[in-house]
Amino acid sequence: MVSGRGDGAASAADRLRQRLFGTEFQSPVLLASGTCGYGREYEGLVPLDEIGGLVTKAVSVEPREGNPPHRIAETPGGMINAIGLHNVGLDRFIDEKLPWLRDNLTRARVFVNVVGRTVDDFAEVVARLDGEDGFLGFEINVSCPNVKGGTMFGTDEASLSQLVGRLRRETDRPIVVKLTPNVPDIGRFARLCEEEGADGLSAINTFPGMLIDIERRQPVIGNVTGGVSGPAILPMGVYSTWKAASATSIPIMGIGGIRSAEDALQYVLAGASLVQVGTALFVDPSSAEGIHLGLAGWLERHGIPALSEVVGALEVPEPRPPVEAGTGG
Amino acid sequence: MSPAPPRHADPSGPASADPIAGRSPWPPVRHRARVLSNRRVAEATWWLELESPEIAAASRPGQFVMIGYGVDNLAPPLLPRPFSVGWRSDDGRVGLLVRTFGSGTRRMSGLEAGDETLLLGPLGRPFRLEEDRPIQCVAGGVGLAPFLFLAGEARARGREVRLLYGERTGARVFDLDLVRRLTGGPAEVWTEDGSAGRKGLVLDGIDLTEDPLLLGCGPGAMLRALADLAARRGASLQVSVEEHMGCGVGTCQGCVVPRAGGGWAKACVEGPVFDAGALDWGVP
Repeated sequence: MVSGRGDGAASAADRLRQRLFGTEFQSPVLLASGTCGYGREYEGLVPLDEIGGLVTKAVSVEPREGNPPHRIAETPGGMINAIGLHNVGLDRFIDEKLPWLRDNLTRARVFVNVVGRTVDDFAEVVARLDGEDGFLGFEINVSCPNVKGGTMFGTDEASLSQLVGRLRRETDRPIVVKLTPNVPDIGRFARLCEEEGADGLSAINTFPGMLIDIERRQPVIGNVTGGVSGPAILPMGVYSTWKAASATSIPIMGIGGIRSAEDALQYVLAGASLVQVGTALFVDPSSAEGIHLGLAGWLERHGIPALSEVVGALEVPEPRPPVEAGTGG
Repeated sequence: MSPAPPRHADPSGPASADPIAGRSPWPPVRHRARVLSNRRVAEATWWLELESPEIAAASRPGQFVMIGYGVDNLAPPLLPRPFSVGWRSDDGRVGLLVRTFGSGTRRMSGLEAGDETLLLGPLGRPFRLEEDRPIQCVAGGVGLAPFLFLAGEARARGREVRLLYGERTGARVFDLDLVRRLTGGPAEVWTEDGSAGRKGLVLDGIDLTEDPLLLGCGPGAMLRALADLAARRGASLQVSVEEHMGCGVGTCQGCVVPRAGGGWAKACVEGPVFDAGALDWGVP
């Protein structure tokens, strides 16, 4: 049981504040990559500088046009997408997108999501951004299911080691690796990232999936397959976060199906210090702010002075004796 | 969770500087809107009126709203759905034309007076009617929606508007008395099987002799034929396009349509109204 610890009169801001990646996060709630553009798209609609921060749309060295439509469709309890890393490329990101983030987000923390086809691609994005202002660190995307080779680095231990090790040599900024759930043991990949010098992990990216239009006998998604997100994947994300947290001691950003403070707290108890909200933003742009407020309210009701006290505070009961036959259990 | 307070645009002041060129007004209004009425007006077709004074006041013909049910809802649909603003009233009502296709529209058809939905809007770029030329609206099926709004506004300002409206069959034809009431004039109806109005395709009604401003909204095949006709005859054409949409505000990049000359345009913020010549009609 989590119990109250006599928190006096801690404010909501005090309860949610954490020190991570060498800086202060005013809130554990961030917006997930691919669901908030480059931030500016939500100006005036989402109070970006009042929450924990955001992770930008993926940035690659070269601009990418992305996949043909349909790029998204609804699935039971979620959605499937195959945007295809449509992005403006590194040059335009630095010239057009980063200045807005630098000038407008002073309290929220920004991670730049980085993608590439080769280790050198990733390294170029990281190296060229390293000296720029307007962001805290990098989220390394080794887990996009919607482009050829998108999960290559995330599903092969040797490739992942090589990539993270190389990026560690390119920057002193925080490096967070966004993991794919599509591996037999996410804990091994999490540990490997830590060993190669990663500062944190994001768990998880979408699940590969497919949706078929039975009348046309064709895939609904232009790319044929896509990544599944939304409430349907919440338990898988919590599981992956718990596995990753159990295998490492670096901070984790929990992602997958979060639409309420209660959802976010499952990730926190499983070991996430921060959470990212994605699909729920489409459902309601105010959801991130709602989760932020809901977390503060939950901590206050439980007399917990700081969120950090419940990070990884999951208590797994000791195995109980097997239920005897005939009890109906 | 504690629901966040709705974030309203300030209707009394000017919208803040537009962060994406051409997108207006910004920011959109987000609020819980009450259903005032919802009635079946033709086969699989519903006319939904919502109470939304701010969106009613801010909307321009061709713009759309996202209608959804919030994060606490797990019954389909999860994602909000885009709908053209079909009409607005001075007393703050917004009308939407709904045809049932999938989970989103089925749920909308079941809405009753007093129910609440989440509205975000108005969104996207409207039709541009600056040139003082006669207007011909070419509507296929529920593509009628933006033209109910547009024809009403334009006719009230003394513009000459022909409203050409096609359906597959007569059972699907929207309530024509309501069309007259909403738009202040008639619609010219075509059906493919001749069971209502004239027999044929709505494109058959187009008359280019007075160099009209052509506006189109409807199924992809209809828009493609319309774009082809306009290109061949040198006519000016704006179209309102439809694509699966996630956010409605340009973040998810889900709703792209092929741009002339290559690449993709986001229907939500660069559209939904485009000059037909700005799009590539050769790509399915």
